[in-house]
Formats: sequence, C-alpha cells, structure tokens
Amino acid sequence: MNNFRISPDRRRVLLGAAAAASSPFWFNIARAQSDPIKIGFPVPLTGPFSAEAQGQERAAQIAVREFNDAGGFKGRMAELLVRDDKLNAGEAATRTLELIEKDKVNFVVGSLSAAVQLSVNNVTKARKVIFNSISQSDTINEASDWSPYTFHEALNPHMTAGAVGRYLFKNFGKRVAFLTADYAYGHEMVRGFQTAGKAFGVETLADIRHPLGTSDFSAFLPRIQALKPDILILCNFGRDLVNSVKQAADFGIKSTTRIATPVLLFTARLAGGADAFDGVVGGASFYWGLESSVPSARAFNDKYRKAYGGEVPSDYGALGYGGVRTVLTAVRNAGTTEADKVIAALRALKYDYYKGPQYYRACDHQSVQSVLILRSKSKNMKDKNDVFDIVSIEQPGEGNLRSCAELGHKA
Amino acid sequence: MEAFRPQVDFIARHRVAAVVVFLSLFPLLVPYQALAVNILIFGLYAMGFNILFGYTGMLSFGHAAFLGTGSYGAGIAIVHLGWPWYVAIATGVAAATAVGMVVGFLAIRARGIYFAMVTLALAQCVYYVFFQAETYTGGENGLRGVEVGVIDLFGWRLDFVDPTVKYYVVLAFVAFALWFVSRVLGSPFGAVIETVRENERRAQACGYDVARTKLVAFVISAALCGLAGTLRALHLSIVPIDSLHYLTSGLVVMMCLLGGMGTFFGPFVGAATLLLIEETFTNLTRHWQLITGVVFMACVLFFPRGIWGSILHWIRREGR
Repeated sequence: MNNFRISPDRRRVLLGAAAAASSPFWFNIARAQSDPIKIGFPVPLTGPFSAEAQGQERAAQIAVREFNDAGGFKGRMAELLVRDDKLNAGEAATRTLELIEKDKVNFVVGSLSAAVQLSVNNVTKARKVIFNSISQSDTINEASDWSPYTFHEALNPHMTAGAVGRYLFKNFGKRVAFLTADYAYGHEMVRGFQTAGKAFGVETLADIRHPLGTSDFSAFLPRIQALKPDILILCNFGRDLVNSVKQAADFGIKSTTRIATPVLLFTARLAGGADAFDGVVGGASFYWGLESSVPSARAFNDKYRKAYGGEVPSDYGALGYGGVRTVLTAVRNAGTTEADKVIAALRALKYDYYKGPQYYRACDHQSVQSVLILRSKSKNMKDKNDVFDIVSIEQPGEGNLRSCAELGHKA
Repeated sequence: MEAFRPQVDFIARHRVAAVVVFLSLFPLLVPYQALAVNILIFGLYAMGFNILFGYTGMLSFGHAAFLGTGSYGAGIAIVHLGWPWYVAIATGVAAATAVGMVVGFLAIRARGIYFAMVTLALAQCVYYVFFQAETYTGGENGLRGVEVGVIDLFGWRLDFVDPTVKYYVVLAFVAFALWFVSRVLGSPFGAVIETVRENERRAQACGYDVARTKLVAFVISAALCGLAGTLRALHLSIVPIDSLHYLTSGLVVMMCLLGGMGTFFGPFVGAATLLLIEETFTNLTRHWQLITGVVFMACVLFFPRGIWGSILHWIRREGR
C-alpha cells in the first residue's frame, strides 16, 4: 500500500522542475520573448468628446497594428490598453495609476483636455513613465508641470492661435473682437492671439467672456455687431462653438465681419452644418485633404480608409496615430523599452508620419510641426467629408513656439 | 442564524475593529490598489455625509464643498507653502471644518428640500471661489504637484508612491475616523442627533438645543469629508476642480442610499459597490452608466434600506 509515496526518482524530477520554474533567469527569458509592449491610452470614451476619443482610439490602433505586422520589436508585440477617463481629471489619475500599477504599462499616450493631460502627466512623471500627450495645452510645456518623461505630440494654444492670428491679421484686418469661453482653454487662446497680434498692431475692441456651456449668445452678439470688428474670434470649443457660430450667422455678423476660431474641428463642422460654418476660418493640426500635397498624409488616410470602411481620420485621430507611432519607433531605435533610452531616441527622432516633417524640441519635448489654416466651405464639395479648403500652412519652426526661457526651462 | 448569535453580537460590539480587519484584507478582493484607495476615500466621504444624512436626517446637496476644500487645503499647503504632509492634512481638515461651520450656520435654518437647496447654492459659491483663485488652485486645470514621495515616521521611511504602502497609510487615517465616528454615535450626543432625526419637536421639548445639535453634527460631518478630501489629494497627487462639482455632491448621496443610510458600515458598502460596478463595466461597455442606474433603481425599489441596511435587517429578523 505505498501508492501515495512519491518515488525518489519522481521526487528528484519534481525538485528539478520546481527549481527551473522558480529560477528568475529562466523566467526573464520567457518574459522577454512573449511580453507585449503595453501602451496605456486614457481617452474620454464617454462624455461630450466621445466622438473625438473614438477617432483617437481607431487611429492609434492602426499604429499598433502596423508595428505588429512589421514583426514588433524582437518578437514583442505592441498592445493598446484603452481606458475611459470620462473627461474627468480625478478619474484620469486613477485610471493612469491602474495602468501603471496593475497593467504595468511601458508607456502612456492619450488624453483629450488640458486638465486631464496635466493630471495624467502628474502621475506618470512621479513614476518615471513616458507620457505622450495628444491634446492641446500650454501649461504642459511649462517647467513647473513638465518633466523629462513628458512629450507633447499635439499643438498647443500658443502655436495654434499664433498661426491662425498671423493669417487673419494679414488678410482680414486689425480690429478684433473676442468671444471667449471663460476657462483655461479660452484664456490661453486669447493670449496667443494677442501675442501674435502685437507685431501687426492689432487692436482688441472687446474680449467678451461667456460661461462654459452657454446655449444662448443673443446677449453678446448685438454688442459685437455694433463694434463692427474686422474679425470676430470665437475662443470656445465643441458645442459652444457650434452654437455661437450658428447664432452669429443668424445675426448677420458675417456681412461685416470675418468669423474665426482657433481650432476648427472636423466634427464641429459636421455638427454645425455647411451654411452656418460657411467662410469660418480656423486652425488644425491635421485635415485629411492634406493628402493632395503631403505623401505621408495620403499613406495614413489610405490605411485608415482600409481599416474603417472608407472613413477618413479626424484631426484628433491623427494625433493618436502620431503619438503612438513615435513611441513605438523610438523603442525600435533605442533597442529597449527602458524609459531613459527611449527618451533619448524620441529626442533624436525626425519623423514624417501623417502631416509632414516633425520633431520634439529638446527643452520641452513639444512637437515642432506645421499648423493648417482651414476655411469652411459650402459649395463645390466632392463628398460629405470634403468640408474645408486648406488656405495656408504655417511651416514648422521653433520661432512659433514660446521660447524655452519663457517657459522656465534652463537649457 | 440563532446559532451565530454570540458571534454577531461580538462583531456588533467591536464594529470598529471588525471593519478595520475587513478593510486590511480588502485589497486582496479588489483588482488594483488605486481603486481600493478610492473606495476607502469615498467610503470615508460617505461616512462623513452619513452622520448628517443618515443619523441627523438632513439631506445636504453640497458636501462636495467639504471634500474639495479639504483637497485644496492640503494641496495648497504642500504645493505653495511647502509644508510637510501631516501639517497639510491638518490644514485641509481645518479648512473644511471652517467652511462647514459657515455653511452649516447659514443652512440649518432651513429644513427639508430648502436645506438641500441652500447647501447646494453655498457649495456652488465655494466652487466658484476656488475656480477663480487660479493662482492658488490652478482653476480649470486643477492643482498639480501634490507630491508626497517618502513619509518619514520617526526614522521609519515609507515609500508613499508604492500602492500597497499608500493603501495602509490611508487606512490608518480611515481607521482613526471610524473609531471617532463610532465614539460619537455611541455617546449621548449620538443619541440626541438620532432623536432630532426621529422627532425634532420632541427633542426640543426634552430640553435639547436642536439648532446647536444640528450645527455640531454638520461640522463633524464636514470635517470628516474634509479628511477624505485631503487623503484624495495625496492619493491622486492632483486636485481636480471636479471634486467641488455638484455631481460629486450627488455621488455621495447615491453611495449612502445604496449602502444603507444610518448604518455604520453602509457608506463603505455603497462606495465599494458603486466604484466596483463602474470599474467592471467601464472596460466592457461605453454604457456603464446605464448599469449603475439600473442597480440604483433596483436598490431603491427592492432594498429601500440599502444593501448593508437590508443585510442588517435580515440578520436582526432572523435572530428574533
């Protein structure tokens, strides 16, 4: 009755197996071969910007697929871990902690609001994880928030407003009125326009602030109409922009005044309709129509169309693609996923992935890139996506960014 | 159930110890520590709220003001004044208590729905004060840089960035708060606030100063919510402006109702349920709010006492 006794041979085998299994050496080799490169991707899948966030996710998936189809990195595949930050800075911080502590992500890319990206950045920099932000903010470049682990693939308000301002003041006049959403985004944009306007001797007739989420602008518009400015700049976003553009058009402001906005979103234009937006000028980091002149834009659009049944990528979507692809390319160039070496590789990167040449500036890791100036059209549209004319492209240049010293960086 | 009577009684007698033991093991049940810390913090927030709502019978719709003031108080102390973390916690709690005193003083004159509206209005005032004081609070961007890297405890150095360490440090504060609340509820004052809830006129007729009782309950509640706020600032290392938003005030009402108002452990159950549902479904579907809504409605319809309240009721009935 010694069925339950383990024979000496078997015991030895078991011991050996246990030793092999527990050896950290073996374990590491197994890990290195199969461990995916994880990229955390917090974006506001629910809430008012969910359409934009879906565009970001879809485009980012293309960058991941592309990387994996090319064999990954030493057999390691990339994986995108998409999380809903609900457009809430507190939720975003929790989600980022989850991504780092539980999922052990190698990098974080994403976000779609100034407050959310600053909160994600705050969590990643304390844990020495690279974060590539793909939404607008001036503050993230400043020395107090920035860290060597912080990269900013998106435009910032200073660049956008500067480029749009320079185009507007050159072409439409120098008497300007602002209608501004009363929060950081609006204030930063106004500051950007006024800085750019100094060189032109621009006169600010009025800077009217409206609360976030205003639906009725009829109290503000007659005042603006009476001032008869050359340009009315709407420094607001999303639904506020759509409502104010529609009502300004109804008031007939367009007959005397050119309406402009710092960020002319593809989705806002689709929501607002061709007539209301007709002739409105604004900036963008990307528009799919760029493909007629930029080969990398065509290549990116084609990949996107193929993956999503003929749809074209949005502006924020393109940022998702660019933000993920630069990080993955840097991993390949660095030959490791170690943060410090990937940072060096990112800093050395000169890339052209979807909109022409770009690179990260050394002092604040802001992506130096072109800014498109778009004008909304209502005639001669080839299809439903053909909504803008690209009237000007401001070429990349560090002169259009705030200087490193101004941001508080030493170097 | 009758067989377990002594055990149940034993736990009921040592409710603080029982809750602390449970919460010490809690991280093992939760997918990740950052969520566990959130549950602790919101549990504490709901417990503070419960003193006013569940025990004194006053429904406030402005408790985000105290959570937020606590957060900003601690955050500003660390970011702008460079004070050590323990002073920052004291600052946050003191600030929330002060705001609680002012809001309470003005609000307790009203009753029922009017009380809720007054607290909501005053909380909105607090929101705009912090929103406009951009130099100190960061305004829309929120306050960043509330970093506590290492906690030096009489030569014993704790790495606060480590999620497990962070959980147990926060738990230490929550355990203190639990003991404090249990002590308050067990005291004659605890009996008085419940009397006020049950029958205000009678309490008055018995010679109790109802207005002062309400004010003290309000301030204690604000201080506990403030403590939750300071811990949240340290946990997230930021203070989002949303923490003062009226939705945050609404959230705590929901947590309290879901867990069981007027029960000692209910708020934690409510916070855990709500956050775990959100956590589970947010990765599966974009419509996670729908599921939260259905669960909430089901609770209101079938368990009006809340989850924990129903369990307690069931144990008591079985025991009889």
